[in-house]
Amino acid sequence: MIFDIFLVEAIINGILFGGVLALLALGLNLVFGVVDVVWICYAELVMVGMYSIYWGNNHFGLPLVICVVIAIFAVALLGFLIHFLVIRPILGTPPINQLLVTGGLLFFMQSLATLLFTGDFRNLGLHLPVLELAEMYISFSRLIAFVTALLAMVALYMFLKRTYLGAAIRAISQDREVVVLMGVNPQRVYLVASALGGGLAGLGAALLILQYDVHPLIGISFGPITFMICVLGGLGNMIGGFIAAFVMSQLISLGGFFLETEWGYVIAFVFFIIMMFIRPQGLFGNRS
Amino acid sequence: MNIRRIIKKTILITICLTVGLYTTLFAKKEIRIGVLYDYTGPLAGAGGVAGSDGTQIAIDMINERGGVEGYTIVPVKGDAQSKPDIAISEAERLINVENVDMLIGFYSSAQCVPVSAKVDSMKKFMWMTICISSAVFKDRDLKYAFRPQVHSDQFGQTAPEFLSYYAQERFGKSPQDLRIAIIHEDGPYGSGVAGSNEAAANKKGMNVVLKEGYSATAPDLSSMVTKLKRARPDVILHTGYNPDITLFLRQAREQGLRYKALIGHGAGYSDIDKLMGTFGEGVNFTFNVDPVAGQLLDSASLAPGVGDLTKEMLRRYRALREVEEVRSHVSMGFNHTWILLNDVLPQAISKYGGYDAEALRKAALDLDIPEGGTIQGYGVKFFPPGHQMAGQNMRSSPVIMQYVGGKTKIAWPKSIQTIDPVLPLPKGHPYAVR
Repeated sequence: MIFDIFLVEAIINGILFGGVLALLALGLNLVFGVVDVVWICYAELVMVGMYSIYWGNNHFGLPLVICVVIAIFAVALLGFLIHFLVIRPILGTPPINQLLVTGGLLFFMQSLATLLFTGDFRNLGLHLPVLELAEMYISFSRLIAFVTALLAMVALYMFLKRTYLGAAIRAISQDREVVVLMGVNPQRVYLVASALGGGLAGLGAALLILQYDVHPLIGISFGPITFMICVLGGLGNMIGGFIAAFVMSQLISLGGFFLETEWGYVIAFVFFIIMMFIRPQGLFGNRS
Repeated sequence: MNIRRIIKKTILITICLTVGLYTTLFAKKEIRIGVLYDYTGPLAGAGGVAGSDGTQIAIDMINERGGVEGYTIVPVKGDAQSKPDIAISEAERLINVENVDMLIGFYSSAQCVPVSAKVDSMKKFMWMTICISSAVFKDRDLKYAFRPQVHSDQFGQTAPEFLSYYAQERFGKSPQDLRIAIIHEDGPYGSGVAGSNEAAANKKGMNVVLKEGYSATAPDLSSMVTKLKRARPDVILHTGYNPDITLFLRQAREQGLRYKALIGHGAGYSDIDKLMGTFGEGVNFTFNVDPVAGQLLDSASLAPGVGDLTKEMLRRYRALREVEEVRSHVSMGFNHTWILLNDVLPQAISKYGGYDAEALRKAALDLDIPEGGTIQGYGVKFFPPGHQMAGQNMRSSPVIMQYVGGKTKIAWPKSIQTIDPVLPLPKGHPYAVR
């Protein structure tokens, strides 16, 4: 059994990577929990946010903070529009239609990004400081992502618990038929949830661009794993998704540390498949 | 009535004959070539587009000189979209729908392996310009597939040879004490080069402290970086595409990985402009194993006229793209296309009576360009049928380049060095051992 400072570093890196994944899963879960539609194209919204920040900062010279705010609002607007123009007309159709439509949207957004921005890899060229503890180095950009994911989770929880709109969102995710009798307009709630989900994708974009190059296919790296985390945690269950993100990231990190990097992913995905046999509703989902 | 009918028929036949004769005599003689590269997707920026630019420049220059044996070369482009399955379907479309006479291009080894088998079984001619995996040819006995490009076994052998030569002088260690880590993307390209790295390092008795593969689209490489830190290699040999190279370098810096030298192997490591833009000083003194970019060679060491070709290629490429350093993928695309159009195709037409796959194959097997006969310095002679690597150029060879102050220099082999290699990384470098 290996137990050394490098193992501790691997665990910490797993936790920090989990923060990134948790934030991505948060928005996707929110949309699914409320609207009951899986946005297969969620990671592509993140890509749009990353491009907004890149262009704002690199080409228009806007301060990074302003770019982040613009990206959050721009992707929130995109989420709103996706629901209004694409999802709303097919809400009553079988789930497979909704999956196919959002899948089509994924390819549309990837291709449009390639046309507009080419396949080039772009980044802000930022180098954030690194925290050095003993022989361990902790990436500041990942630390920011982790803390932001925690804050976003708490803020979302407070919003859902303490506001009328939050209560309406929770109510609609519990029973979308009865809630109409209570005077809630589901269409309005759907739009708000989609915009919120989009905003969270924008926030995720702000954190990813500190660590990754943006290119039209960045979604390939994050889309599948985010979706799996949401399913593992119980689709629509935000706390479940949050915890599942850290479970998966630890499996990837420690599996990669003890075996080969590739094995980390293999172990995580095998774990996911086994869990789907044991608990198809996800770790924290309700059997329904 | 009968006379009228006869006159009508005579006029009709005359018109048909005239049109037929005109078409035969004055029709434009064309050879349609399917040009298949990655114009979109992650491999486009990693060299796919640069390679296709080189190919297009060669085609333009040949056409401006009157084409090949009176035939105008018409490129028909296909986009592999950085995906092997799309590469296969695009190759089929170009052959079956666009009716191209041959295929040229291919950036990715992951595409070359399946496409070459498919195209060969269709008895069509395939000319590979950039992909390097030895697995494309090894023990596959392909008949109509040829590649003047360097292959991955050669890629992998070069760095250990270089390190073995400088180990004592620059690291103060015997080659056997040198700690080597080999990391690679897990496709045919990365695995091929890494396997050859390991075999060559073992042959020299070097200490391979870590060898590990990863997916080029992996979102996190931090556990690999942690293991590298624990393994404390003197030198890291890395084969990757993009964005994995930038992800690795970024996470390596954030996690405090230190080494004495980093040797990349083509692909993303060839784009020094982009690496400098992202990492600045961090990529200074990085090495890259690749076929040499034509402009780095001394034209006096090449056959007469070859240096002028390089100059013209550079002039045209710089007019096309705004770049400081012209990456070697442009040279690969240009050089290998030029060899096909200038040396193989004319021979196929004049000696073997056409440009079908059989004629092209015979002309390719006849090809015998000595060292110094191409803009990348190496000659061209293909391994014959029956050989384990039949269809692969036996005279190709890579070089090791080093990036110094944003400029590319040749560090190996010694005979064409344009710089005394900076080894190990100097103190103060972000990745240098403290």
